[in-house]
Amino acid sequence: MTMTYAPARGARTEVPVAVYGNRWCGESQMARRALQRAGVPYVYVDLDDHPDAEQKLRWLAGGLLHTPVIYVDGEWLMEPSMNELRSALIRHGAL
Amino acid sequence: MSTALAGSSSRWHELEQRFAALEPQLKESPVKESLSVLHALIGEAMRSTPSPEVPPAGDLAAVRNLFRSAPPMQGERVSDGLPEGSLAPDFALQDAQGQPVTLSGLRGRTVVLVFYPLDWSPGCSQQLELYQQESAEFESRGATVLGISADSIYSHGAWAAVRGISFPLLSDFTPRGEVARRYGVWRDADGFSERAVYVIDGDGVIRYAHVSPYLHHLPDLDELLDALERVQPKEEAIS
Repeated sequence: MTMTYAPARGARTEVPVAVYGNRWCGESQMARRALQRAGVPYVYVDLDDHPDAEQKLRWLAGGLLHTPVIYVDGEWLMEPSMNELRSALIRHGAL
Repeated sequence: MSTALAGSSSRWHELEQRFAALEPQLKESPVKESLSVLHALIGEAMRSTPSPEVPPAGDLAAVRNLFRSAPPMQGERVSDGLPEGSLAPDFALQDAQGQPVTLSGLRGRTVVLVFYPLDWSPGCSQQLELYQQESAEFESRGATVLGISADSIYSHGAWAAVRGISFPLLSDFTPRGEVARRYGVWRDADGFSERAVYVIDGDGVIRYAHVSPYLHHLPDLDELLDALERVQPKEEAIS
Protein backbone atom coordinates (compact mmCIF):
# COMPACT_ATOMS: atom_id res chain seq x y z
CA MET A 1 0.00 0.00 0.00
CA THR A 2 1.24 3.47 -0.72
CA MET A 3 0.94 6.59 1.32
CA THR A 4 -0.23 9.82 -0.22
CA TYR A 5 2.86 11.57 1.01
CA ALA A 6 6.05 9.78 0.08
CA PRO A 7 8.88 10.63 2.46
CA ALA A 8 11.84 12.32 0.86
CA ARG A 9 14.96 10.25 0.57
CA GLY A 10 17.60 11.47 2.99
CA ALA A 11 20.69 12.86 1.33
CA ARG A 12 22.97 11.36 3.92
CA THR A 13 21.67 7.84 4.36
CA GLU A 14 18.89 7.40 1.81
CA VAL A 15 16.55 6.33 4.61
CA PRO A 16 13.02 7.66 4.13
CA VAL A 17 11.77 9.30 7.30
CA ALA A 18 8.49 11.17 7.76
CA VAL A 19 6.86 12.76 10.77
CA TYR A 20 3.06 13.01 10.79
CA GLY A 21 2.04 15.35 13.59
CA ASN A 22 0.68 18.71 14.64
CA ARG A 23 2.47 21.98 15.23
CA TRP A 24 0.82 22.31 18.61
CA CYS A 25 1.79 18.79 19.75
CA GLY A 26 4.73 18.71 22.15
CA GLU A 27 5.89 15.25 21.18
CA SER A 28 5.74 16.16 17.48
CA GLN A 29 7.94 19.16 18.19
CA MET A 30 10.36 17.08 20.28
CA ALA A 31 10.68 14.42 17.60
CA ARG A 32 11.27 16.94 14.83
CA ARG A 33 13.92 18.82 16.75
CA ALA A 34 15.62 15.56 17.73
CA LEU A 35 15.77 14.55 14.06
CA GLN A 36 17.10 17.97 13.09
CA ARG A 37 19.77 17.83 15.75
CA ALA A 38 20.79 14.37 14.62
CA GLY A 39 21.03 15.56 11.03
CA VAL A 40 18.37 13.11 9.82
CA PRO A 41 16.43 14.52 6.86
CA TYR A 42 12.70 13.98 7.09
CA VAL A 43 9.41 15.10 5.62
CA TYR A 44 6.92 16.73 7.93
CA VAL A 45 3.18 16.36 7.32
CA ASP A 46 0.95 18.50 9.50
CA LEU A 47 -2.27 16.58 10.05
CA ASP A 48 -4.28 19.77 10.57
CA ASP A 49 -3.45 20.65 6.97
CA HIS A 50 -3.81 17.12 5.60
CA PRO A 51 -6.97 15.47 6.97
CA ASP A 52 -6.75 12.73 4.36
CA ALA A 53 -3.38 11.65 5.75
CA GLU A 54 -4.87 11.65 9.24
CA GLN A 55 -7.72 9.44 8.09
CA LYS A 56 -5.33 6.95 6.53
CA LEU A 57 -3.12 6.88 9.62
CA ARG A 58 -6.16 6.35 11.80
CA TRP A 59 -7.06 3.31 9.72
CA LEU A 60 -3.52 1.97 10.02
CA ALA A 61 -3.73 2.39 13.76
CA GLY A 62 -7.00 0.53 14.10
CA GLY A 63 -8.96 3.74 14.69
CA LEU A 64 -6.86 4.93 17.62
CA LEU A 65 -4.42 7.60 16.52
CA HIS A 66 -1.83 9.16 18.85
CA THR A 67 0.54 11.64 17.30
CA PRO A 68 3.22 11.90 16.24
CA VAL A 69 3.33 8.95 13.89
CA ILE A 70 6.82 8.52 12.52
CA TYR A 71 7.61 6.50 9.45
CA VAL A 72 11.12 5.09 9.26
CA ASP A 73 11.93 3.11 6.18
CA GLY A 74 8.80 0.94 6.24
CA GLU A 75 8.29 0.89 9.99
CA TRP A 76 5.51 2.88 11.62
CA LEU A 77 6.04 4.26 15.11
CA MET A 78 3.07 5.74 16.92
CA GLU A 79 3.88 8.23 19.64
CA PRO A 80 7.35 6.78 20.13
CA SER A 81 9.60 7.76 22.99
CA MET A 82 12.87 9.39 21.99
CA ASN A 83 14.62 6.10 22.80
CA GLU A 84 12.23 4.15 20.59
CA LEU A 85 12.76 6.64 17.76
CA ARG A 86 16.50 6.47 18.14
CA SER A 87 16.40 2.65 18.14
CA ALA A 88 14.35 2.63 14.95
CA LEU A 89 16.70 5.08 13.25
CA ILE A 90 19.70 2.94 14.18
CA ARG A 91 17.90 -0.22 13.08
CA HIS A 92 17.32 1.27 9.65
CA GLY A 93 20.76 2.80 9.30
CA ALA A 94 19.69 6.42 9.55
CA LEU A 95 22.00 6.96 12.53
CA MET B 1 3.64 -5.26 7.58
CA SER B 2 5.16 -3.29 10.40
CA THR B 3 4.19 -4.16 13.93
CA ALA B 4 5.46 -0.87 15.23
CA LEU B 5 1.98 0.56 15.82
CA ALA B 6 1.55 -1.67 18.85
CA GLY B 7 1.63 0.45 21.94
CA SER B 8 0.81 0.19 25.60
CA SER B 9 -1.17 -2.68 27.04
CA SER B 10 -4.14 -0.38 27.60
CA ARG B 11 -4.15 0.54 23.92
CA TRP B 12 -4.07 -3.13 22.97
CA HIS B 13 -7.07 -3.72 25.16
CA GLU B 14 -8.99 -0.88 23.54
CA LEU B 15 -8.28 -2.31 20.09
CA GLU B 16 -9.48 -5.73 21.16
CA GLN B 17 -12.67 -4.25 22.52
CA ARG B 18 -13.31 -2.43 19.26
CA PHE B 19 -12.61 -5.53 17.19
CA ALA B 20 -15.00 -7.59 19.27
CA ALA B 21 -17.71 -4.95 19.02
CA LEU B 22 -17.45 -4.90 15.22
CA GLU B 23 -17.75 -8.64 14.73
CA PRO B 24 -21.58 -8.92 15.09
CA GLN B 25 -21.97 -6.26 12.43
CA LEU B 26 -20.15 -8.29 9.78
CA LYS B 27 -22.05 -10.70 7.56
CA GLU B 28 -20.68 -14.21 7.24
CA SER B 29 -18.34 -14.13 4.27
CA PRO B 30 -14.79 -15.02 3.24
CA VAL B 31 -13.80 -11.49 4.25
CA LYS B 32 -15.12 -11.99 7.77
CA GLU B 33 -13.33 -15.32 7.99
CA SER B 34 -10.11 -13.73 6.73
CA LEU B 35 -10.32 -11.09 9.43
CA SER B 36 -10.82 -13.78 12.01
CA VAL B 37 -7.77 -15.69 10.77
CA LEU B 38 -5.73 -12.48 10.74
CA HIS B 39 -6.76 -11.73 14.29
CA ALA B 40 -5.74 -15.23 15.33
CA LEU B 41 -2.39 -14.82 13.61
CA ILE B 42 -1.76 -11.65 15.59
CA GLY B 43 -2.63 -13.48 18.77
CA GLU B 44 -0.15 -16.25 17.91
CA ALA B 45 2.52 -13.66 17.14
CA MET B 46 1.93 -12.02 20.52
CA ARG B 47 2.22 -15.32 22.33
CA SER B 48 5.51 -16.09 20.66
CA THR B 49 6.95 -12.69 21.55
CA PRO B 50 8.95 -12.75 24.81
CA SER B 51 7.17 -10.67 27.41
CA PRO B 52 9.12 -7.82 28.87
CA GLU B 53 9.70 -8.02 32.60
CA VAL B 54 6.95 -6.40 34.51
CA PRO B 55 8.49 -3.46 36.30
CA PRO B 56 8.23 -3.67 40.06
CA ALA B 57 5.58 -1.61 41.78
CA GLY B 58 6.74 1.94 42.29
CA ASP B 59 9.06 1.84 39.31
CA LEU B 60 10.16 5.35 38.49
CA ALA B 61 9.71 4.86 34.75
CA ALA B 62 6.04 4.02 35.33
CA VAL B 63 5.61 7.23 37.33
CA ARG B 64 7.51 9.19 34.72
CA ASN B 65 5.16 7.97 32.00
CA LEU B 66 1.93 8.32 33.97
CA PHE B 67 1.02 11.30 31.83
CA ARG B 68 0.66 9.04 28.78
CA SER B 69 -2.37 7.29 30.26
CA ALA B 70 -3.76 10.28 32.15
CA PRO B 71 -7.11 11.71 31.03
CA PRO B 72 -6.56 14.35 28.35
CA MET B 73 -6.72 17.98 29.36
CA GLN B 74 -8.86 19.84 26.87
CA GLY B 75 -10.82 23.06 26.62
CA GLU B 76 -10.71 26.35 24.80
CA ARG B 77 -8.93 29.31 26.30
CA VAL B 78 -11.15 31.68 28.26
CA SER B 79 -8.76 34.63 28.52
CA ASP B 80 -6.29 36.41 26.27
CA GLY B 81 -3.59 37.35 28.74
CA LEU B 82 -1.60 40.59 28.78
CA PRO B 83 -0.66 42.33 25.53
CA GLU B 84 2.86 42.68 24.18
CA GLY B 85 4.39 45.99 25.11
CA SER B 86 2.88 46.09 28.58
CA LEU B 87 4.88 45.96 31.78
CA ALA B 88 5.12 42.48 33.27
CA PRO B 89 3.66 42.39 36.80
CA ASP B 90 6.22 41.63 39.46
CA PHE B 91 5.76 38.58 41.64
CA ALA B 92 7.37 36.76 44.54
CA LEU B 93 6.88 32.99 44.46
CA GLN B 94 8.63 30.00 45.93
CA ASP B 95 10.49 27.47 43.84
CA ALA B 96 10.48 23.75 44.61
CA GLN B 97 13.14 24.21 47.28
CA GLY B 98 11.08 26.90 49.00
CA GLN B 99 13.40 29.67 47.83
CA PRO B 100 11.77 32.96 46.81
CA VAL B 101 12.00 34.03 43.17
CA THR B 102 10.97 37.51 42.07
CA LEU B 103 10.70 38.95 38.58
CA SER B 104 12.34 42.18 39.76
CA GLY B 105 15.30 40.11 40.97
CA LEU B 106 15.85 39.04 37.37
CA ARG B 107 15.91 42.58 36.00
CA GLY B 108 18.50 42.81 33.24
CA ARG B 109 17.87 39.25 32.05
CA THR B 110 15.41 37.96 29.48
CA VAL B 111 12.79 35.80 31.18
CA VAL B 112 10.60 33.17 29.58
CA LEU B 113 7.60 32.79 31.85
CA VAL B 114 5.76 29.54 31.15
CA PHE B 115 2.29 29.30 32.65
CA TYR B 116 0.98 25.74 32.51
CA PRO B 117 -2.16 24.19 34.02
CA LEU B 118 -0.91 21.41 36.30
CA ASP B 119 2.06 19.19 37.10
CA TRP B 120 1.67 15.56 35.99
CA SER B 121 -0.92 16.33 33.31
CA PRO B 122 -0.39 15.27 29.68
CA GLY B 123 0.30 18.49 27.78
CA CYS B 124 2.34 20.00 30.57
CA SER B 125 4.66 17.01 30.74
CA GLN B 126 5.35 17.34 27.06
CA GLN B 127 5.81 21.10 27.09
CA LEU B 128 8.26 21.27 29.96
CA GLU B 129 10.15 18.23 28.68
CA LEU B 130 10.43 19.90 25.28
CA TYR B 131 11.90 23.04 26.86
CA GLN B 132 14.26 20.91 28.94
CA GLN B 133 15.39 19.11 25.79
CA GLU B 134 15.99 22.46 24.12
CA SER B 135 17.56 24.16 27.15
CA ALA B 136 20.72 24.97 25.18
CA GLU B 137 18.63 27.12 22.83
CA PHE B 138 17.42 29.21 25.77
CA GLU B 139 20.82 29.38 27.45
CA SER B 140 22.56 30.51 24.27
CA ARG B 141 20.17 33.46 24.20
CA GLY B 142 20.72 34.28 27.85
CA ALA B 143 17.12 33.48 28.70
CA THR B 144 15.94 32.29 32.10
CA VAL B 145 13.03 29.87 31.84
CA LEU B 146 10.56 29.79 34.72
CA GLY B 147 7.64 27.39 34.90
CA ILE B 148 4.64 28.46 36.94
CA SER B 149 1.47 26.66 38.01
CA ALA B 150 -0.84 26.54 41.00
CA ASP B 151 0.70 23.31 42.29
CA SER B 152 2.47 23.16 45.65
CA ILE B 153 6.25 23.29 45.97
CA TYR B 154 6.12 19.59 46.94
CA SER B 155 4.39 18.63 43.71
CA HIS B 156 6.87 20.76 41.77
CA GLY B 157 9.79 19.08 43.46
CA ALA B 158 8.56 15.57 42.79
CA TRP B 159 7.54 16.27 39.22
CA ALA B 160 10.79 18.03 38.35
CA ALA B 161 12.79 15.15 39.82
CA VAL B 162 10.85 12.49 37.96
CA ARG B 163 10.89 14.29 34.61
CA GLY B 164 14.39 15.68 34.85
CA ILE B 165 13.35 19.33 34.72
CA SER B 166 16.17 21.56 35.87
CA PHE B 167 14.73 25.05 35.45
CA PRO B 168 12.77 26.55 38.35
CA LEU B 169 9.11 25.68 38.82
CA LEU B 170 7.30 28.36 40.78
CA SER B 171 4.32 27.68 43.01
CA ASP B 172 1.37 30.02 42.49
CA PHE B 173 -0.34 28.27 45.37
CA THR B 174 -1.03 30.84 48.10
CA PRO B 175 -3.24 32.66 47.28
CA ARG B 176 -4.08 30.17 44.58
CA GLY B 177 -3.56 31.57 41.09
CA GLU B 178 -2.86 35.14 42.21
CA VAL B 179 0.04 35.64 39.80
CA ALA B 180 -1.85 33.94 36.97
CA ARG B 181 -4.68 36.40 37.59
CA ARG B 182 -2.26 39.33 37.35
CA TYR B 183 -1.06 37.99 34.02
CA GLY B 184 -4.63 37.53 32.82
CA VAL B 185 -4.43 33.76 32.44
CA TRP B 186 -6.32 32.31 35.40
CA ARG B 187 -9.22 29.94 34.72
CA ASP B 188 -11.55 30.49 37.64
CA ALA B 189 -13.91 27.66 36.81
CA ASP B 190 -11.04 25.12 36.56
CA GLY B 191 -8.72 26.20 39.34
CA PHE B 192 -5.65 26.33 37.12
CA SER B 193 -4.14 28.65 34.55
CA GLU B 194 -4.22 28.79 30.80
CA ARG B 195 -1.24 27.43 28.90
CA ALA B 196 0.61 30.65 28.14
CA VAL B 197 4.13 31.86 27.47
CA TYR B 198 5.52 35.34 27.96
CA VAL B 199 8.95 36.61 26.93
CA ILE B 200 9.93 39.48 29.22
CA ASP B 201 12.95 41.61 28.36
CA GLY B 202 15.54 42.94 30.79
CA ASP B 203 13.49 46.08 31.39
CA GLY B 204 10.46 44.10 32.46
CA VAL B 205 8.47 44.65 29.26
CA ILE B 206 6.46 41.84 27.68
CA ARG B 207 7.92 41.36 24.21
CA TYR B 208 6.05 38.19 23.28
CA ALA B 209 2.77 36.82 24.58
CA HIS B 210 1.04 33.61 23.60
CA VAL B 211 -2.03 32.01 25.15
CA SER B 212 -2.76 28.62 23.62
CA PRO B 213 -6.16 28.46 21.92
CA TYR B 214 -6.73 25.08 23.56
CA LEU B 215 -5.30 23.67 26.78
CA HIS B 216 -3.75 20.71 24.99
CA HIS B 217 -2.05 22.90 22.39
CA LEU B 218 1.59 23.72 23.02
CA PRO B 219 3.08 26.97 21.70
CA ASP B 220 5.20 26.52 18.61
CA LEU B 221 8.81 26.33 19.79
CA ASP B 222 10.25 27.89 16.63
CA GLU B 223 7.94 30.88 17.09
CA LEU B 224 9.09 31.23 20.70
CA LEU B 225 12.77 31.00 19.78
CA ASP B 226 12.27 33.58 17.02
CA ALA B 227 10.74 35.92 19.57
CA LEU B 228 13.70 35.34 21.88
CA GLU B 229 16.09 36.02 19.02
CA ARG B 230 14.47 39.43 18.53
CA VAL B 231 14.97 40.23 22.21
CA GLN B 232 18.34 38.62 22.80
CA PRO B 233 20.17 37.37 19.71
CA LYS B 234 22.56 34.49 20.33
CA GLU B 235 25.72 36.47 19.68
CA GLU B 236 24.70 39.06 22.26
CA ALA B 237 23.84 36.53 24.97
CA ILE B 238 24.86 37.45 28.46
CA SER B 239 27.62 35.07 29.54
